[in-house]
Amino acid sequence: MTGTPLLRFEDVHLAFGGLRVLQSLDFDVRAGEATALIGPNGAGKTTVFNVISGVYRPQSGRVLLDGRDLAAVAPRQRIRHGIARSFQNVRLMAHLSVCENLMVGQHVKTNGLRDLLAPFRLMGNHRWRREAIDALAEVGLEAHADAPVGGLPYGIRKQVDLVRATLAGASLVMLDEPAAGLNPTETNALRLHLERLKARGITLLVVEHDMHFIDRISDHVVVLNFGRKIAEGSLAEVRRHPEVRAAYLGIEEAA
Amino acid sequence: MIAQQLVNGVMLGAIYVMVALAFTLAIGILNFMNFSIPGLFMAGGMATWILIHRGVPWWAAAVVALIVAAAISLAVERLSYRPSNEGDVEVPLVSSLGFLVLLQSLVLATVGSDQQAFPAVLGDLNLRIGGLVIGAAQVLSLAISMVLVIGLTVALKSTSFGRQIRSIAESRETATLLGIDVGAVIPRVFVISAVTAALGGVLFALNYLQVSPFMGENVGFKGVAAMIVGGMGSVWGAVLGGLLIGVAEVLSIRLFGADTVDIAVYGLLLVLLVVRPQGLLGKPPAREKL
Amino acid sequence: MSGYQTGVLVILCFNIIAAYAVYLPLAANQLNLGIAGFMAVGAYAAAWLTTELNWAIAPAVLVGGGASALVALVVATPILRTQGIYLALATFALGQVISAVFLNLEVVGAAAGYQVPAYAPAPAVFAATAAIVAVVFYLSRTRFALYLTALKNDATVSELLGLNVRALQIAAFAIGAAIAGIGGGLYAHHFSFIEAQHFNVALSITTVLYVLLGGTQTVWGPLVGALVYTLLPEVLRVGAGWRYVLFALFIIGFMAVRPRGLVTPDLGRRLGAMLMRRARPGKAVP
Ligand SMILES: Nc1ncnc2c1ncn2[C@@H]1O[C@H](COP(=O)(O)OP(=O)(O)O)[C@@H](O)[C@H]1O
Ligand SMILES: [Mg+2]
Repeated sequence: MTGTPLLRFEDVHLAFGGLRVLQSLDFDVRAGEATALIGPNGAGKTTVFNVISGVYRPQSGRVLLDGRDLAAVAPRQRIRHGIARSFQNVRLMAHLSVCENLMVGQHVKTNGLRDLLAPFRLMGNHRWRREAIDALAEVGLEAHADAPVGGLPYGIRKQVDLVRATLAGASLVMLDEPAAGLNPTETNALRLHLERLKARGITLLVVEHDMHFIDRISDHVVVLNFGRKIAEGSLAEVRRHPEVRAAYLGIEEAA
Repeated sequence: MIAQQLVNGVMLGAIYVMVALAFTLAIGILNFMNFSIPGLFMAGGMATWILIHRGVPWWAAAVVALIVAAAISLAVERLSYRPSNEGDVEVPLVSSLGFLVLLQSLVLATVGSDQQAFPAVLGDLNLRIGGLVIGAAQVLSLAISMVLVIGLTVALKSTSFGRQIRSIAESRETATLLGIDVGAVIPRVFVISAVTAALGGVLFALNYLQVSPFMGENVGFKGVAAMIVGGMGSVWGAVLGGLLIGVAEVLSIRLFGADTVDIAVYGLLLVLLVVRPQGLLGKPPAREKL
Repeated sequence: MSGYQTGVLVILCFNIIAAYAVYLPLAANQLNLGIAGFMAVGAYAAAWLTTELNWAIAPAVLVGGGASALVALVVATPILRTQGIYLALATFALGQVISAVFLNLEVVGAAAGYQVPAYAPAPAVFAATAAIVAVVFYLSRTRFALYLTALKNDATVSELLGLNVRALQIAAFAIGAAIAGIGGGLYAHHFSFIEAQHFNVALSITTVLYVLLGGTQTVWGPLVGALVYTLLPEVLRVGAGWRYVLFALFIIGFMAVRPRGLVTPDLGRRLGAMLMRRARPGKAVP
């Protein structure tokens, strides 16, 4: 299946008032690959995620999933069509435990009213709980299963947010700066975890600033600057691209 | 006689304006739905009545009542508003409701639940214009509430205190960065809001010659309706809303009878909340604190 | 049990029912300040059914709850478009409108009140309360309750995770209304008389107050809130007039020092850990 586009942006435009955030954006996310979306801060990367998950509607252009226009799919339904995501600034439910957050992530796999009203919390080690804990164990966090997320360190919450995105059985998982704020050990564990997801046939779309990390996991890189795609290809290719160098040099000079 | 009804509606509306003003200051500046305000309204009228009974001249009684209300409001600031900054969002609202229940039940426990007759201290001076009769107390209410509204508008626009308040309403952080002593300004806003509400209660007593523990519930909540109709946080919205509710109330009593007032007033409010929650003159809701 | 004790217990039961009627929507982030209106719908509907149509009390009370839920469903779509403080005020206005409608409704006595000959004795009230508490506790062990907390915490993310936020909110609102309606119907048949003035804003507000006093983050909170509200004045033997003064002082003081309410998940966890050590592991974790 590798090679066919799972997701396609066609001439997408999006503006907030006078601020043009995405301009004539075209790119493909090929099935089974890890596509990295990179670019300076404010380039529009998170906005791309928000368009895909339906938080924002583009003013023109199309976003196709498996050839089907997503405009017709309500935001709530998109996860049922196989699109799941994590959030740049971790958005866990603060009053729920780690395990409970993950169970909310399982929702689309549950079975309607029957599961909605099943008293699973009376049933001890219910399969939903086991599944959540198994997923946690893959990133070595099973010990935190019953901790309230409010008090956990940022790195752990970040990973829980990611694990939650993988529990819906989605075919496309979008990760917004998953390595930001992680220490080297955690980053390494994250990389291995993403490899495992890929091995299961999950398509990844990853926004990340850590070039070393990108180099290790991605098959294809798309570079955004001011809402435009300025380059795409392998990381080595885009690195040589003059506009990319200019964009990143500009950033470094400004910093 | 419809013209007389309109006049009465406007005069009643003038009192709603004051309560709505008190609410709108708390919401607009502090982002605080301060449900103690109906209690302060009642405290204003009730304390005046109690003091008059003890032989205090009515104007002195009224002044003391306003001071009492201001003091209670400072307690609300200290106990309901200030601790809420870290806690759950419903907390300040609930805690201020606690003050409403406290004030009401204190009066119930000490004075009893009966409606009390308030002396006609202004005599029955009446203005007659054409066929219209306008009472002195009515003129006084309208005059005071208009003076308050215009005074507030001017003060907010052009005094340095007003500028401080507006910058706090805009953003507390920025205000702090600009060197405004937020901790000192906020209690003063509570005092202004409380005095406005309590003055409304005094004027209500002067106008309708009665006070009761429930006057805050009856009138104060119409003030909430008035504020929403006009638009939360808008001073002129409070004026418009207060007058509209006053007129709607008097007309619906006239047309359908006294028991239907709540259907008319709160029905109007309900429809408005659904159709246009920002009210007639308000900005669309952005910041809020429940 | 003395008549006095039974009387207190009956009041406690009505307060517990009202508490859960407020709690369910609150768990979905809806502050319902008009719960008395929904009680009135259930009370009048059930009373009318037993009085005019000679229905038995139990089905009449259930249908009263259904009527209340129906009213909630009808108003939910417009009313739940509003949020936060606007929703609280909209429910407040709705409560006022409903009780004003009954104040004018001649078929149920209008301002004179409505006599209800069919009588529900105290044990019936106890049984109904136990059933309602059982249902709410059951719900609290399901995904439904989990989702309500989720959407209360972050409605946007809940939606993106596929939850039907709107439907869940409407369900919480309507189930709360149904409970209020059942409570109202029972009230009518236990006290044999209802009047519109009883279902006023003060009733709505005090209910919300003791629910928040108990805490809304666990299913135990409303129960504890209702217990404290009902029993504290009895224990302290304060006169009727002063009980609300005491309660209000309690609320204000409490909100200043423990704004999350009496019962928090943290407390629950600690208690749970204690119980777990005694009971079988893996069971009944609050
Ligand atoms: N809801 C919004 N309203 C207005 N501007 C927005 C909104 N969301 C994003 N933007 C703007 O769009 C631009 C791109 O933002 P974003 O996609 O978050 O960038 P990135 O993730 O690449 O750092 C920024 O200038 C940001 O300020
Ligand atoms: Mg971003």
